[in-house]
Amino acid sequence: MDPFSADGELVNIHTAFIQGQYQLVLSDFDPSSFSESNRLPVKVLQYRAQCELGQASEVLSAISTADASGSPDLAAVRTYASSLGKGAQDEKVVAEAEKLSEEQGDNLTVQLLCGTVLARAAKQEQALQLLAKHQGSLDAVALIVQIHLSQNRTDLAVKEAKGARSFAQDALLVNLAESWIGIRQGGENYQKSFYVFEELAQAPSSAAATSLVAQAVSELHMGRIEEAETALNQALTLEPNNSTAIANKFVLETIAGKDASETHAKLQSVDKENEILTDLTAKREAFQAAMAKYNPKFEP
Amino acid sequence: MQSSPNMLTKFESKSSRAKGIAFHPKRPWILVSLHSSTIQLWDYRMGTLIDRFEEHDGPVRGIDFHKTQPIFVSGGDDYKIKVWSYQTRRCLFTLNGHLDYVRTVFFHPELPWIISSSDDQTIRIWNWQNRSLICTMTGHNHYTMCAQFHPKEDLVVSASLDQSVRVWDISGLRKKHSAPTSMSFEDQMRGSQANQPDMFGNTDAVVKFVLEGHDRGVNWVSFHPTLPLIISAGDDRLVKLWRMSETKAWEVDTCRGHFQNASACLFHPHQDLILSVGEDKTIRVWDLNKRTSVQSFKRENDRFWVIAAHPEINLFAAGHDNGVMVFKLERERPAFGVHQNQVFFINKEKHVRSYDFTKNVESPSMLSLKKLGSPWSPPRTLSYNPAERAILVTSPSDGGSYELVNLPRDASGAVEPTNTMRGTGSSAVFVARNRFAVFNQANQQVDIKDLSNSTTKTIKPPHGTTDMVFGGTGCLLLITATHVYLYDIQQKKQLAELAVAGVKYVVWSTDGLYAALLSKHNVTIVTKSLEQVSTLHETIRIKSACWDDAGVLLYSTLNHIKYTLMNGDNGIVRTLEHTVYLVRVKGRSVYCLDRAAKPKVLTIDPTEYRFKLALVKRHYDEMLNIIKTSSLVGQSIISYLQKKGYPEIALQFVQDPQTRFELAIECGNLDVAVEMAKELDRPKLWQRLSTEALAHGNHQVVEMTYQKLRNFDKLSFLYLTTGDSDKLNRMAKIAEHRGDMPSMFQNSLYLGDVQSRIEMLKEVDQYPMAYLTAKANGLEEEAQAILEASGLSEDEVTLPSMGKPTAIPKPVVPTFKTNWPSKSTGMSSFEKALMADGDDAVVADANGDAEEDLMGEEVVADANGTLDDGEDEDAAGWDMGDDSVADVEEDFVNVESADTGAGSSEADLWVRNSPLAADHAAAGSFDTAMNLLNRQISAVNFKPLEERFLEIYSASRTLLPANAGMAPLVNHVRRTLNETDSRRILPIIPRDVESVLTGEIAAGKNAMKANKLDDGAAAFKKALHLLMVNAASSASQAEEAAAAIQSAGSYVLAMSVELERRQLIGGATDLSSFDDETKKRALELSAYFTVPAMDPQHQTLAWFSAMNFANRNKQLGSVLGFANALIERGTNAKFKETARKLKAVAERQPTDAIDIEYDTFAEFTICGASHTPIYPGGEAPVSCPFDGTQYLPKYRGTVCKVCDVCTVGGGGSGFRTVV
Repeated sequence: MDPFSADGELVNIHTAFIQGQYQLVLSDFDPSSFSESNRLPVKVLQYRAQCELGQASEVLSAISTADASGSPDLAAVRTYASSLGKGAQDEKVVAEAEKLSEEQGDNLTVQLLCGTVLARAAKQEQALQLLAKHQGSLDAVALIVQIHLSQNRTDLAVKEAKGARSFAQDALLVNLAESWIGIRQGGENYQKSFYVFEELAQAPSSAAATSLVAQAVSELHMGRIEEAETALNQALTLEPNNSTAIANKFVLETIAGKDASETHAKLQSVDKENEILTDLTAKREAFQAAMAKYNPKFEP
Repeated sequence: MQSSPNMLTKFESKSSRAKGIAFHPKRPWILVSLHSSTIQLWDYRMGTLIDRFEEHDGPVRGIDFHKTQPIFVSGGDDYKIKVWSYQTRRCLFTLNGHLDYVRTVFFHPELPWIISSSDDQTIRIWNWQNRSLICTMTGHNHYTMCAQFHPKEDLVVSASLDQSVRVWDISGLRKKHSAPTSMSFEDQMRGSQANQPDMFGNTDAVVKFVLEGHDRGVNWVSFHPTLPLIISAGDDRLVKLWRMSETKAWEVDTCRGHFQNASACLFHPHQDLILSVGEDKTIRVWDLNKRTSVQSFKRENDRFWVIAAHPEINLFAAGHDNGVMVFKLERERPAFGVHQNQVFFINKEKHVRSYDFTKNVESPSMLSLKKLGSPWSPPRTLSYNPAERAILVTSPSDGGSYELVNLPRDASGAVEPTNTMRGTGSSAVFVARNRFAVFNQANQQVDIKDLSNSTTKTIKPPHGTTDMVFGGTGCLLLITATHVYLYDIQQKKQLAELAVAGVKYVVWSTDGLYAALLSKHNVTIVTKSLEQVSTLHETIRIKSACWDDAGVLLYSTLNHIKYTLMNGDNGIVRTLEHTVYLVRVKGRSVYCLDRAAKPKVLTIDPTEYRFKLALVKRHYDEMLNIIKTSSLVGQSIISYLQKKGYPEIALQFVQDPQTRFELAIECGNLDVAVEMAKELDRPKLWQRLSTEALAHGNHQVVEMTYQKLRNFDKLSFLYLTTGDSDKLNRMAKIAEHRGDMPSMFQNSLYLGDVQSRIEMLKEVDQYPMAYLTAKANGLEEEAQAILEASGLSEDEVTLPSMGKPTAIPKPVVPTFKTNWPSKSTGMSSFEKALMADGDDAVVADANGDAEEDLMGEEVVADANGTLDDGEDEDAAGWDMGDDSVADVEEDFVNVESADTGAGSSEADLWVRNSPLAADHAAAGSFDTAMNLLNRQISAVNFKPLEERFLEIYSASRTLLPANAGMAPLVNHVRRTLNETDSRRILPIIPRDVESVLTGEIAAGKNAMKANKLDDGAAAFKKALHLLMVNAASSASQAEEAAAAIQSAGSYVLAMSVELERRQLIGGATDLSSFDDETKKRALELSAYFTVPAMDPQHQTLAWFSAMNFANRNKQLGSVLGFANALIERGTNAKFKETARKLKAVAERQPTDAIDIEYDTFAEFTICGASHTPIYPGGEAPVSCPFDGTQYLPKYRGTVCKVCDVCTVGGGGSGFRTVV
């Protein structure tokens, strides 16, 4: 039986991970309480949760090189964790990921983690090839969907999600993947996506900053500015330094025509590498460049 | 056969055996005649005994209300029939005639008749107006137990222990009594022998049918209200249904079930049901068409004797051994569910319908749920799932069942639903998009099911759970008799509990943060985590509730709609004639369903609770608005404010000086208090004011009040303490003047004036004291003089030893000069709001001017013209654009067929879809955006637009967190929310036209009013830049934007002219110190300030300033011109007054000291760069293609001074803000 299926042993920890409740993944589950065969997946999930919480170095020190060479799963975690450290995208790590994906391409953990590393290193095609080897894993599907979306291939993402829907019905990841697509598609799908995010975000057992941010984004796209602001503030209460939440708050304030400089400064202090910030700086330069083509003549 | 133990009992009384019952047709009253000889009048709604009538001797069996008159009739075992007035509360008269117990009495529905049946085997008809017996019907040969008129026809039906039911024709009787024609001899003969058989043996009432079928005595019989049917109940334990035609009558069927004598029966007034009661202690309900039992109710110990139905509403009453019970057969609360602007409900035909609050339209039936539950029990609840467009309906029959039905897309009539899911359960509710919970009371279990109706989870609710309702996303509220529990489905655990008894309904606020728990007499407001916020008690039953969007709970009782705020403040909103179930509140409309499940809209006045809410939330602007727009101001609101501790706010509303004074004292507003005290000028008020002011340390007010009170002593002391010796001296003089010795002495003491003290003492012959004083202060000469005057020598006087004379204390600090410094409280925010609003009001008034309207129209027309042109020209260019889009679209398809590779982002689509610079900026394509602006309005200097571009760009994309470890997904925010066609989607543009109009433009105008021209010019420029890169939502908004640009341009020009003047002369008003050149230029600029078109009230300001400036510098000719303009077109009465005065002076010598280039009568415009006039007919001026400011030709090609962006005289296809 699939340990991740609804009745399996891993379902709760896996769900908590997907819902972004990383602290819960670490605190509420003890690997030794799981059956023998499931301990490794639990451990992998916990390592990943640690990485999400910014403790990549702890993960690295927890897995020795010997451990890594013995288990492809742990090797993948190690690679993944090292990709998050300083000098994140350096070529060595990517090369390591490539090597691992060639050798152990059938291992799910390798697929997911190396796929993520590759996708982030702008090697989406390679990541997709690797992920295509998965055997009915919804995590892989979700990752594929996201990669397609990041490449603006909504059509392929829809196809992928549809395929997953046929074998996984109402699984949380499928719903999420469809909702991500929905936010791209717009129209009625905004509302549908909103329902999924809202359900996650508002239920006390599944509430996490990630889902609150997702809910806020969907509301923002539907033009419900005030509601979106409420959700974002909720998210920021949970995680005051969630850079995605702050970035979205900056967008929201701009849309609402408020003074966004404070949020901008906060974002800068929390995460100066944030996509929004780097993008804005680039755009400012682009503006200067474009402006320079014109020669205004001022009255003396 | 099912029994429902939970009869919907509305009222129960305890008394001796109840033999007769009658409902009042209109009021909530019921008459009960008892075996103990008493007649009771109850209000069954309030549960109170209104009156008792005790004149019968022995049991009273028959009772009936008159339909329209305030009377009722009773018949008893004392053989008497009594007619009573319930207004005068006494028996009006008694009808005697029966020779044995009277069993039943009934009024005729129209005629002034009473029918009675008696153990003397007769049925008698009486006229209660002339109090006579008009007919005696004989025929039964045993006790007649019951006799009733037919509701419409001239028929009577009777039942007797002789086992027969008889139908009588009384048309003869009606003829005889209704048409008193001239009497023939025969008539008189017959009249004299009234009620005797005529010569053929007929009487006025003839037996029409004799119905035999019961094989024991018959106790009760009644007609069907509309059909030719009769129902009878007998000691053979049977209830028999009979049918009749014109010529015959026959037995239709028998309802078997009672296992003791059946004592009474009747037809349901509206539904196809029969109700019967019996000595077997049961009430039974039968289906009229199938004659099967529908429901039965058993009482433990009491045999039932009688049953009655309310003629109008769904209410019945049954009398038993120990009293009466009033009950309903079915719930009348319609099942409904609200989602956003729609309510879905089930009407009496069991059809699902919806009602749209925004359009106020009821949909046709969407589904028929005829098959749900049993035919006679309406559905109890409805839960709507917007994501799946499905409803979950529960029905109480069969121990509770639910049904999950998909609603059709379009309402196309009451179709039977296809593929429904059903199951058993007493409550069912959606808990998530694809999950619902079913509660089964019998086995105390909650099942969580998915949409295919299979159970995914099972929960054990707390012991004794009676109901389950929605508890917020992923949660349930489980209700027991004494508590409410909040239960999380995911975690399978109880999150909170609250002790609230008897909760029946739960209503969630629209934002899902609060819920109201309704029980019979209590409303408890809780947060979503089940913390109690407030609770209130109602003596009258609470029926329903719903939340106002602002967070006020409105609830309905049997006869009122009331409100309650979160803090527990409550009050009545309006009264109700009929019970309604509130569904939604929107503004002044309350949407509700009535008992027949018909949507209704009631109008309410929400002012009171809005005001209170605004007060609680300290939304002073809103309060102010409410006060301005409604007739709220009254004593009640003032006392409310005062009671709630807001005297400073109450102060703002009160006109009455006395109240104002009281409030001002209460909130310590001395200024107002002084003002009011002056107005009233009463000693008592001055007294209070002085105390209050003293407490504040405000000695200036204290001084004034003492002066008013002529309180000289206190004044003196006040001056002493404040160190005001001048005034103290004056006080001494005053005292002298008044001849008030003690006061004089006091003052001299204060002043340390020894000399005057001695004089004073001497004057009153107190030489020893005077001597002592002089001696003590070292005034030896004076002492000597006193000694001499009194004829004594120094030796004769013994004095105690004295030290040095005390020095006169000097004030250290001149306290009297100013008041004690007190912490400035500033204006309350309310006062601020009040001030701000006052200003706005002025603007609003001015806007109402006809002049303004005319001008506005012109501008709009102009803008129209340019816009049209622009569109024509641009359309030509755009055809090409469309073509290219199509091409790219093809490319896109090609890309799609390839399996991999990146697609094009939504931002690229925006660039393709729109000719607006704003949309290009949002897409990040600044290059093309600038290009567009350059082509449309010759924009060249983009520096001022940098922030605007980046603002638009940053508003265009959000980050959606997706898989762990991956960068968030970038999504593009659209303003076309419902569009999915990739050729139509467009980005959101922050700071839309509307917000610029209410923001920068308004701010600029306020700055103009406040004479902060620098700020004003900056605001207007900002507005120009915001509008330059913007998108309008409609053509009319685009026109608004164009008009705003024109006007902002004029303001900028006007302000920069005035600013130049101020810079030139540095704010001086008198020019005499400047050289002629500067003088001339300053005067000219002052005049040009009046030229650009502004709102009338601002134009007025310009004229006024120009007029005064000219006047100060002896430019009387110009003064005359400006004064004329002011008088003619100004909006400020005061300015006009000044203008008239100056005009009168100027008219004597209307010449200018310095000749300036300004002609009041000529039409001209001002050059935006040089600030000099451009006269028509000269060399054609050039203008800015964006804001339309005109320039002298020499400025062609430079950047416009007003918008700072466009090229003066540049061409361009025209400005546009709509796609």
